[in-house]
Amino acid sequence: MEKLFPEYPFPIQNIESGLWLIIALPLLGAFINGVFGKALGRKNVHWVACASVGGSFLLSLLVMWALGKAQPEIPGPLAYALSADYGTWFAVGDFKVNFGLFADRLSATMLLVITGVGFLIHLYSTSYMEHDKGYAKYFSFLNLFVAMMLTLVLADSLVLLFVGWEGVGLCSYLLIGFWYDDEAKAWAGRKAFITNRIGDFGFLVASFLLVLLMAASVKEAPRGTPVSNPRFSASLAEKGPLAFQSLSTLASTLATPDISAAKLKAAKPDHKPALLMERDIQTGPLKGFSYSGVLTVVLLFFLLGAAGKSAQLPLYVWLPDAMAGPTPVSALIHAATMVTAGVYLFCRISYLVVLSPFAMATIAVVGCLTALIAALIAFAQDDIKKILAYSTVSQLGFMFMGIGCGLFWAAFLHVVTHAFFKACMFLGAGSVMHGNGDETDIKRLGGLRKEMPWTSWTFLIGTLAITGIVPLSGFFSKDAILFGLETQQLAGYTPVLHTLYILGLIAAACTAFYMVRLYVLTFEGKRSPLAKLPHAHESAWPMTLPLVILATLSIAAIVYGVPFLSVPNAPNQTLIEFYLAPVFNASNQANQLGMKAHMLLPGEFGGETPWNLLWTGWIKAWLIAVVCGGISCFLYLKVWRGGRKFPAILEPLRRFAHNKFFVDELYELLLINRTKGLAKGLYRYVDAFFVDRVAVHGTAQTVGFFGRVLRWFQNGNVQAYASAIALALAVGLTYALLQVLS
Amino acid sequence: MNASSPLLNYVIFLPMAFALLVLLLPGNEKGQIRFIALLGMLVNLLTGIWAFVAFNPSGPEFQLEYRLFWLSDLGLSYHLGVDGLAIALVLLTAFLGPLLVLSSWRFVNERVKEFHVCLLVLQTAMMGALCALDIMLFYIFFEAMLIPMYFLIGVFGSEERQKAALKFFLYTLAGSLLMLVALLCLFFLSGPEGARSFDYASIYNGLLEANREVGLCMQNSASCSNLSATAATLLKWGPWMFGAFALAFAIKIPMFPVHTWLPDAHVQAPVAGSMVLAGVLLKMGTFGFWRYAMPLFPAQAWAFQNLLVALSLVGIVYGALMCLAQKDIKKLIAYSSVSHMGFCMLGMLTFQKEGTMGAAYQMLNHGISTSALFLLFGMLYERRHLRGVADYGGIAKAMPIFTVFFLIISFSSIAVPGTNGFVGEFLVLLGTFRSNLPLWAGILATTGVIFGAAYMLWVVQRVFFGPVTHPANTTLKDVNFREFVTVLPLVLLVFVMGLKPQPILEVLSPSVERYIARVHQARPNAEGQTLPPQRENASLRMYVRTLPSKKTESAHMGHAQAEALGPLLANNPAGERL
Amino acid sequence: MIPTTACLFLSAMLFFLGMLGFLLRKNALVVFMSVELMLNAANLAFIAFARMHGGVIGTTGHVSAFFVIAVAAAEAGVGLAIIIALFRTRRTLDVDEVRALKH
Repeated sequence: MEKLFPEYPFPIQNIESGLWLIIALPLLGAFINGVFGKALGRKNVHWVACASVGGSFLLSLLVMWALGKAQPEIPGPLAYALSADYGTWFAVGDFKVNFGLFADRLSATMLLVITGVGFLIHLYSTSYMEHDKGYAKYFSFLNLFVAMMLTLVLADSLVLLFVGWEGVGLCSYLLIGFWYDDEAKAWAGRKAFITNRIGDFGFLVASFLLVLLMAASVKEAPRGTPVSNPRFSASLAEKGPLAFQSLSTLASTLATPDISAAKLKAAKPDHKPALLMERDIQTGPLKGFSYSGVLTVVLLFFLLGAAGKSAQLPLYVWLPDAMAGPTPVSALIHAATMVTAGVYLFCRISYLVVLSPFAMATIAVVGCLTALIAALIAFAQDDIKKILAYSTVSQLGFMFMGIGCGLFWAAFLHVVTHAFFKACMFLGAGSVMHGNGDETDIKRLGGLRKEMPWTSWTFLIGTLAITGIVPLSGFFSKDAILFGLETQQLAGYTPVLHTLYILGLIAAACTAFYMVRLYVLTFEGKRSPLAKLPHAHESAWPMTLPLVILATLSIAAIVYGVPFLSVPNAPNQTLIEFYLAPVFNASNQANQLGMKAHMLLPGEFGGETPWNLLWTGWIKAWLIAVVCGGISCFLYLKVWRGGRKFPAILEPLRRFAHNKFFVDELYELLLINRTKGLAKGLYRYVDAFFVDRVAVHGTAQTVGFFGRVLRWFQNGNVQAYASAIALALAVGLTYALLQVLS
Repeated sequence: MNASSPLLNYVIFLPMAFALLVLLLPGNEKGQIRFIALLGMLVNLLTGIWAFVAFNPSGPEFQLEYRLFWLSDLGLSYHLGVDGLAIALVLLTAFLGPLLVLSSWRFVNERVKEFHVCLLVLQTAMMGALCALDIMLFYIFFEAMLIPMYFLIGVFGSEERQKAALKFFLYTLAGSLLMLVALLCLFFLSGPEGARSFDYASIYNGLLEANREVGLCMQNSASCSNLSATAATLLKWGPWMFGAFALAFAIKIPMFPVHTWLPDAHVQAPVAGSMVLAGVLLKMGTFGFWRYAMPLFPAQAWAFQNLLVALSLVGIVYGALMCLAQKDIKKLIAYSSVSHMGFCMLGMLTFQKEGTMGAAYQMLNHGISTSALFLLFGMLYERRHLRGVADYGGIAKAMPIFTVFFLIISFSSIAVPGTNGFVGEFLVLLGTFRSNLPLWAGILATTGVIFGAAYMLWVVQRVFFGPVTHPANTTLKDVNFREFVTVLPLVLLVFVMGLKPQPILEVLSPSVERYIARVHQARPNAEGQTLPPQRENASLRMYVRTLPSKKTESAHMGHAQAEALGPLLANNPAGERL
Repeated sequence: MIPTTACLFLSAMLFFLGMLGFLLRKNALVVFMSVELMLNAANLAFIAFARMHGGVIGTTGHVSAFFVIAVAAAEAGVGLAIIIALFRTRRTLDVDEVRALKH
């Protein structure tokens, strides 16, 4: 790109201060379509929607250009980044949140993916949603989603990121329940939102704990550490403790060797120097905990948050249900962008992640288990969208494994390639549904290759990409992760990674199997006799064009992932690794200081790439993909399509997987019903009975009772009253007399 | 120092004047009555805005003061003044006023005159309670609020209105009568015989040293031996007095075990009644804690902190769980108030900047979003006269604009970022984590985020989405122009307060500082605080106008003079040795 | 001269008789007369003390007696009116039957 535009079309400062436009454009589109949609008419609605996202795409390209020129003279995380600050959002005491935007290479890549894929999906939707009544509403929500996702990516602090984080959840809720007349669809939206909220709970707790950690370290860090630098105090006061800038300084402080402790242990030279983060916190609410312990807890809470948004165990259950929304929504939100927010978050705070090997191992384990379970469930699903949903969950698991073994660039590469091929497949599925009278059961499809050539070819490319066949991008991104699992060292947890490598291979094998099954049943063979329509029809150009572009991109993306395309000055690095190096610079530094997760970059095997390891890894992965895909192809094309029954022994297993291992039912039984029961019980027995009836009305009735008893004395007989007076008088007089006499 | 300004008098008594005007109108001129009442509320809103603009957030804290002789033999004076929180709540009250009238335009058709008189009188009472700087004056207004509210519920409510009104009245009265006793005790603590007064500032300043001593004593019993007389009394009777105040305000908020009047009152009250109840009346409880219970008895506040925090936490979670079990929409919104007000109380009890600020902001938020929820539900109720969740379903089809409004307000209520609820809730939770409370308290409070979404979305789902289950719901009319105009300001405010909270936070900030400084005075070595202990903070004392001497009107008082001036003065050193 | 004690004794006897009458008699008219009797007993005591003290202080006793007589007269007026009204509505003067004060 630098060759194309050696000069910037605009001064960098203008691009920097105009970052808000990237968010504002889709937001404006959402507003216009939402408020004036009916008045505008269909044509104008999709013009507004596509133009706003397209505009954002162009602006994102500008950002990319601006970032292309290195700015290494600015030290710290701001190198190679654009940032803009639009004033305070809220500030209380020493806590402050700014409306600050920040685009480094990580966010810029995400920007391009979001706006690029987003634009294609908008284009696709113009045709897919053609006949829908809520056309303007749909595009309004979709634009709003894009705006929120861009906020998430551009935010320069955790709080602002949370705005996007919740915002995308909100739009996802609205879009899943887009056809709200169908109760099940509306419930699916609600389920997604609430599951996400459980994650948001984790996110919030983690952020609050980070604020405490920051306060403690500012108070306690010895002189000479980054946080005790006066320049940092100034930037902390200006940006607030949850800005990424502040957090990276926190990370580098925590990873600083503890000099006072090092002196003590100088007698034992073989001992690794202790780090500041191993100290105990002396003041504040976290008193008594160690920095590293709190950091681990923070990361685990972030993991909960990410598990909610990125559909990992145990919160993945919302994603398959989310397929109730329109298919382009599934492609955009539930495959390409929103669900990768968790991975993005961990990449963003990678410098914190690398400081806690336990948290990294947990992330990897969660990712791996999710990948496996989702893959197994996907085996027995028949709904085309459900299979894609489970494969998304599974692929997200791979990304988490990448995070867990410290190869952030590989995880992120997988985010990008996955965005391309999964969006391509989802849109392909939408095209299939569009051409077959909304049929989603793959057993009632089949033989579409001839009737829908564009769709089937692009779908095939997507399938091969996710399966991991060599010339496609998915192979390199997935294999980078698996390679990482095999070779990375994680202080204390390396065996875990090695175990996960095996499991990861199994998950990859499963992926190959069910994805090929999906492709074969849908597109190959003969048309099923149960099909709704006798003949399918290929979709119109606004639908096929995005398919072709996405398929092309899923091939083209390999240039980022192949390690032989060496970049000048950085041999043996993949393009994406080189490109993102400034982003993960802070984490590499923290990592080298902390020596927690020992990252073996390809260049670190004594200066040589471990070609033999790399090759064997590749061959293994490739063999697995081909063999499993082949078996699947053979079974579904020849054996079972040929009329053979599914073996009866495996039937219960199939049913078990078909019912998603009864996880939903389990949650329903253990959590939802319990909570509901608790609520009902509390209401009936505690609130209505104990508090209201016994305590409140009880008091009133006790008073009433005494009133009734006392009323008995008031019998209306004047003489009785007078007798009482006389008697009292007599008693009083007697008492007085006795007093006087004694 | 503080200039005298009659502005607050207008804010308080203009609605009353309009109430008199309405009284003069013939009862069957419904349109005129409504118009005059609306006019009154609008004028009141104007004066409210005027007062808000005249309030200088960076100036001395109590502003727009006005002080007159009034029953001075009893130690009373007519003393008005507002700090940041009070002026914000005044603005909220004034803002809700016109909406109350508009929301009842078609809803109330019987006894229209009486209804609007009640609304206007209630407005006066609420404004008075917010602006009073004399404790007895506050009490009078505080009690005066009950009467119009009693009629609003008891006369204009639904089927079981009388029972609910009685419950509401007796419940709140029981608490506030105990508070009256505590008020009288304060009177006797305020100085030696002959110099006693009900003036807030003089009690506030008079108890400063005593509170410091009590605080020291409660932390370290060695310093209990040489307490001053006031401090000794305060040590002995403080818990009872604080308890009386706390009970009165806790009922008003309402906090967990004393909350059951609220669902009944809300369910039975007419729309405007529910709106004003949720919008302003509940705030009187938190405002009371903020203005009276905590600063006057800081040592006891610390002593009771754990109990009150536990009740708030229970309130947050329990209120949300109650919502999950409701079938009646109004009841559900009422219980959600219990949950939200739990956040307010929790923030206030952190005794820490972020939390307290969040609590103050949350008061405003709750006033807006919950009253908007009641307003919106009132529109639905006006159409169908049914309250059950099961009576609706799929009405998004018939009422799309209404649905959009309801969704926005729901999201504000569950604190989605970008809406006002987020800022308040975030600050409260952050404050809870940063305070001296255990970490699990913060984590437990944060679960409120999940439950909030669960019940609110459940209602939205059941009422708006899914197929239309009742044929009558297919022909519902969407919001008309009047209703649109009524909701729109609230919806706009939701976003404005969510995206631009800083101006309001700045207005609130000095009163937050005062609150924290004052509370920490009784705990010199408390951890997790933002103020250095024992620092003589300017906000530990109140500097207010003295009574104008009968001849000259200009007796302004400076810091140094404070101790030399007359018997009704703020700080009377003699007061410490009773 | 009759000693003051004797007068007081007579006053006490009268008062006691009046009280017994008030408490025990059932006819409202008689009850009413018993009240008058008690008032007069009080008057007698006033006068007795007034005579005992004499002078300026004594006049207070006389004034009090007159005051009581005035009150008694007013009471008689109102009381008799009530009794007549009572008899007209209830056709009885038995105080056990007339329990308008109940509850």
